[in-house]
Amino acid sequence: MIVGERKPLLELKGFIEDYRKVLIVGCGTCATVCFAGGESEVKVLGSALRIAFLREGKEREILEDCVTRQCEPEFVDKVTQRVADEKIEAVLSLACGVGVNFVAEKLEEVPVFPGINTKFFGATVEPGVWVEMCAGCGNCILHLTGGICPVARCSKSILNGPCGGSSDGKCEISPDVDCAWALIIKRMKKLGTLDHLSKMIEPRDWSTSLHGGPRRVVHEELKPVQAGREQD
Amino acid sequence: MEDQVATASCMAACPVQTDTRRYVELITQGKYEEALEFLLDANPFSSVCGRICHHPCEQQCRRSKVDAPVGLRMLKRFVVENTREYRLLRRKWIEPSREEKVAIIGSGPAGLTAAYDLAKLGFGAVVYEKNDLPGGMLGTAIPRYRLPWAVLKEDIDDILSLGVDVRTGYEIGAGIGINELREAGYAAILIATGLSESRTLGIPGIDSEGVLLAIPFLRTVAGGRGASLGERVVVIGGGNVAIDVARCARRLGVEKVTLVSLESWEEMPAWKWEIEETVQEGVEIQNSWGPRSVFTEDGVVRGLELKRCTAVFDEAGRFNPSFDEGDVSTLLADNIIIAIGQWSDLTCIEGSAVKAARDRLEYEPETLTTTEEGVFACGEVVTGPGAAVEAVRDGHRAAKAIVHYLDTGELLSQPVTKPPCLGDIPLDTAKKIKQRAPVIPELAPADARVRDFSEIERGFTEAEALAEAKRCLACTTGALADEEKCAGCLTCVRICPFGVATVEETAAMPQELCQACGLCAAECPAAAIALKRFGTNRMREEIEGLFAGIGMREDIHPLIVSYCCLFEVTSRKLVRSEPSDAARTGVARVMVPCVARLSVVDILAPFELGADCVVIISCTEGDCLYPTAEERLSARVRRAKSILDEIGLGGERIDHWRTERSAEVSWSAFWELSKRKLRALGG
Amino acid sequence: MKSGSNLEKVLSAGHFAVTAELGPPMDCDAGAVLEKAKILKGAADAYNITDNQTAVVRMSSIAAAVLICKEGLEPVMQMTCRDRNRLAIQSDVLGAAALGIKNCLCIAGDHQSFGSAGKLKGHPGAKNVYDIDSIQLLSVLKGMRDEGRQQGGDPVEVRPPLFIGAAWTPMGDPIEFRPVRLKKKVDAGADFIQTQGIYDVEQFKEQMKIVQDMGLHERTAILAGIIVPRSLGMLKYMHNAVAGVTVPDALMQRMSTAKEAAGEDKKQARLNQQEEGVAIAVELIERVREIPGIRGVHVQAIEWEKKVPEILERAGLLPRPAPGGAKERGGAN
Repeated sequence: MIVGERKPLLELKGFIEDYRKVLIVGCGTCATVCFAGGESEVKVLGSALRIAFLREGKEREILEDCVTRQCEPEFVDKVTQRVADEKIEAVLSLACGVGVNFVAEKLEEVPVFPGINTKFFGATVEPGVWVEMCAGCGNCILHLTGGICPVARCSKSILNGPCGGSSDGKCEISPDVDCAWALIIKRMKKLGTLDHLSKMIEPRDWSTSLHGGPRRVVHEELKPVQAGREQD
Repeated sequence: MEDQVATASCMAACPVQTDTRRYVELITQGKYEEALEFLLDANPFSSVCGRICHHPCEQQCRRSKVDAPVGLRMLKRFVVENTREYRLLRRKWIEPSREEKVAIIGSGPAGLTAAYDLAKLGFGAVVYEKNDLPGGMLGTAIPRYRLPWAVLKEDIDDILSLGVDVRTGYEIGAGIGINELREAGYAAILIATGLSESRTLGIPGIDSEGVLLAIPFLRTVAGGRGASLGERVVVIGGGNVAIDVARCARRLGVEKVTLVSLESWEEMPAWKWEIEETVQEGVEIQNSWGPRSVFTEDGVVRGLELKRCTAVFDEAGRFNPSFDEGDVSTLLADNIIIAIGQWSDLTCIEGSAVKAARDRLEYEPETLTTTEEGVFACGEVVTGPGAAVEAVRDGHRAAKAIVHYLDTGELLSQPVTKPPCLGDIPLDTAKKIKQRAPVIPELAPADARVRDFSEIERGFTEAEALAEAKRCLACTTGALADEEKCAGCLTCVRICPFGVATVEETAAMPQELCQACGLCAAECPAAAIALKRFGTNRMREEIEGLFAGIGMREDIHPLIVSYCCLFEVTSRKLVRSEPSDAARTGVARVMVPCVARLSVVDILAPFELGADCVVIISCTEGDCLYPTAEERLSARVRRAKSILDEIGLGGERIDHWRTERSAEVSWSAFWELSKRKLRALGG
Repeated sequence: MKSGSNLEKVLSAGHFAVTAELGPPMDCDAGAVLEKAKILKGAADAYNITDNQTAVVRMSSIAAAVLICKEGLEPVMQMTCRDRNRLAIQSDVLGAAALGIKNCLCIAGDHQSFGSAGKLKGHPGAKNVYDIDSIQLLSVLKGMRDEGRQQGGDPVEVRPPLFIGAAWTPMGDPIEFRPVRLKKKVDAGADFIQTQGIYDVEQFKEQMKIVQDMGLHERTAILAGIIVPRSLGMLKYMHNAVAGVTVPDALMQRMSTAKEAAGEDKKQARLNQQEEGVAIAVELIERVREIPGIRGVHVQAIEWEKKVPEILERAGLLPRPAPGGAKERGGAN
């Protein structure tokens, strides 16, 4: 899932300093699961901000809400409706960057501030610890590397690793970071396919990733249909 | 979902479905008066049952699988003993609002409960009791060392104070029968005459001088008229009445009391714990013997001849003892007391259309009707021998049947059903629950007990009651996950110290396993879990309420909100938190059953409302009911502190203490320390 | 001849080759480059010019290489994958070839976070490129030189004459995969190899045995890396912090003894360790020379270039063969 971390409290306070009526909106999917911006974190943030403003003697209305996902129009409509109904001046979104983008687009004239630093696509390796595993490169080669992604998990995204900096199974940048290639070799040994690595993997076409420009996926059959008219 | 409908096992086991779990919870909260209301709501004979009930609730208590059941009867006793004033004050006379009057024959627990219910609904109830004192068997057959008269009086006085008219010394059937009652204008009649007569045996010598029947004997003893017994007494019978008779005999100074019973030790119908006390008191029990004949000398009892009983029940399971006439024995005795069972005195139905077969009324169990319209029956007179609380149940059912009849003219069918309840705790879960030995006040030593008829059991002290109530597992009040909000993040699964939570698509916490510790609810990132017993999101309202009650709040510095572990108090002084307390001491107390259920938002909330400091007081080290709870709470406190640091308020404004020895001993010292630190910080 | 470079000729002639290293300055001081060039002239067959080594911005390898060319030294330019995409790489290589640079060492390059170490601030926030990795880079250069085409397929009419090199860490983790990696590099087009610094000769021999069994030593010229130690501290640092370098206890001991022999005299201790370091370097050179498959050494004396001629002299590697075969005179003695 998408993993992020809440921005420092004072930074967030700075975003909303000048607005009297602010709505904090959480996201019930990824942000909840990585403890960055679910309903519970919305409450904590709301409480902390209210305490901070109280301390300065400033009157602020800090409202709280949470929707299932902020990347879905129907769910975001609830937010836009509330913003309009209650004349909310600013929104602080605790969703990932996608949610902030999306909500900001729907609200247009009300500023939407990011509450989270979105970090990566990752998995829970142990309770409370999430690790990056996918780079969203658009052309998955996990079948070549035993299921371990060298693009996301090698600091240099080397496709013919390991480099000379690998030491004791750890990456040269930090002893806390596993060397992805050490993992790949170990895995492919277990799979009995280590000899596949003797062949060089060719230079990659990066145009399927962000380097090729912002991407889009379309499922034609899901596009809205008008009854009685054939779509071509 | 099925398991949300399930009742706590203790409540389901209670014949009158007393909300047992709830009154135990109220005790822990120091709300004894409210607990009393729950007791009396189900059972007007709460004082009596607090002494002598056979506690089927305890027998079903799910804690038995962990160590021992919770002492529910003793806790009930504690409540009634500690709310006497309140109980007097709550009495009120209810003026009948209905025209119809109901006549009840018999003032035992069944009849009086029916009268109580009817009076509360505005019907005039008149109870006819043939004896001098009301209460039925409770007042006569149950010895004072188990049930002091004053205790019974508490319950009876409550009923009388409603306006129920109990006419003692008034036998129905002799001059005034059912027909006469009808003509006198009663719209319905209830026969609740119980099993007031002792059975006798048809063996030779049974009519000799010195042979007594159990009920008349007990009645004499109860009346304080002291039956005169010889040096050796033999009691025939294996049930609770026989036991009571034997123990009374000991208290009347009889040195040698022997109890002979048809049943083997295991088969004896008396409650096992009573049999043990009896043996401690020096009564000899001889099992598997039947009475053969009484031998006399000059018409006075000299002894009892016995024959071996080889089986009590036949193949069909009916009471049908068989004997070995060749295996005989003799016991010397100055008195023989027969306690082999009771039968009902049906004098009251003479001349009426109410029919009986042998000595049993013809009776429809689901509608509680007899063969005569408008005449109902309930209690032991129709069910056969039963316990006091079962009589109360029958009285409730009878009242309901009568009210329906008077309202509609029709009969109400009330099949006896048991509500679905939780099954036993699986052993795996039971093993994870912390054991705590039950509080069981010891009885006085047996030789002291038999000296007189003073009550042998003492009630809980307040500290004992609170300690025992803490053992309740609070079944059915556990966690509930909201499917809509749950993101399936598995946090609850990983955090639960009892391995209860599971996630299929969303989380579920089976009621059978949940221990209501609240750890999952405190950590859930989607705020999707609520607890039935103590919602973590109520904190803000509670504190707002407290603060609202403190006037001039701005003048109180430092103003501390203290979350305190409810389970550490040994009296209820600290439990109740009045706004005036907070105004005076600067400390607003919020009692929490295990502070580990506090979420980070709970810890921050008081600051939003203007508090200067939050103090959290956990239980004594190693005492927490829930494994890992202390560590989880500490991590949350650290997080709350770092948030306060981040916004510049300072994490030092949160203090986390551990109770030392007891709340009363250590808490005020903690508050003082926190205050001092705050003053040094500048308020 | 693939490139006609001096290094290539020396190796083809069967000599034991020597390369040395020259680090450019962190500014545009051409004089500093020339200074070092003067010190090293004649000591080696070719001189590596590092390329933003350890992610610290320095004068570019190609620029410094051109500067030393003018002094008559043959450069080995270094090309990392960290700072350039495949367009810039090919473009720079074509430019370098046009400027007369013939040797090119292809390496991945340390991660940019290495640049902020010790007193240096570096550029840890830079975006790293790694469009292609070091092995792919070898194949790109080979494609340009031997097939006359760019990586994307477009033709390269006048092909760059390159002698293509790669780095190898024989004792890196996982150690059993390192020979496979060498093979990949050789397959991709590595004409010569310069290894990471060797201190544990025995362990290196074991790896070389595997390499020989794979026949790789015949397909590429392996030059053993020799990093001249200056102090015990430096040896310890290399052992603990540099991936793929292990220093045997015996060497640590020698350095330690040398240091302690000076007692309290810090200046003397420094001199003792330096002397020991030079002696160790010489011995290492002699020992690796005996390993079959080792065709030369790559000597690195970081910020201590003046010692290189002395070490090579003592190791009996001077004078170097002149371009074309005859021995050359020169260098400061």
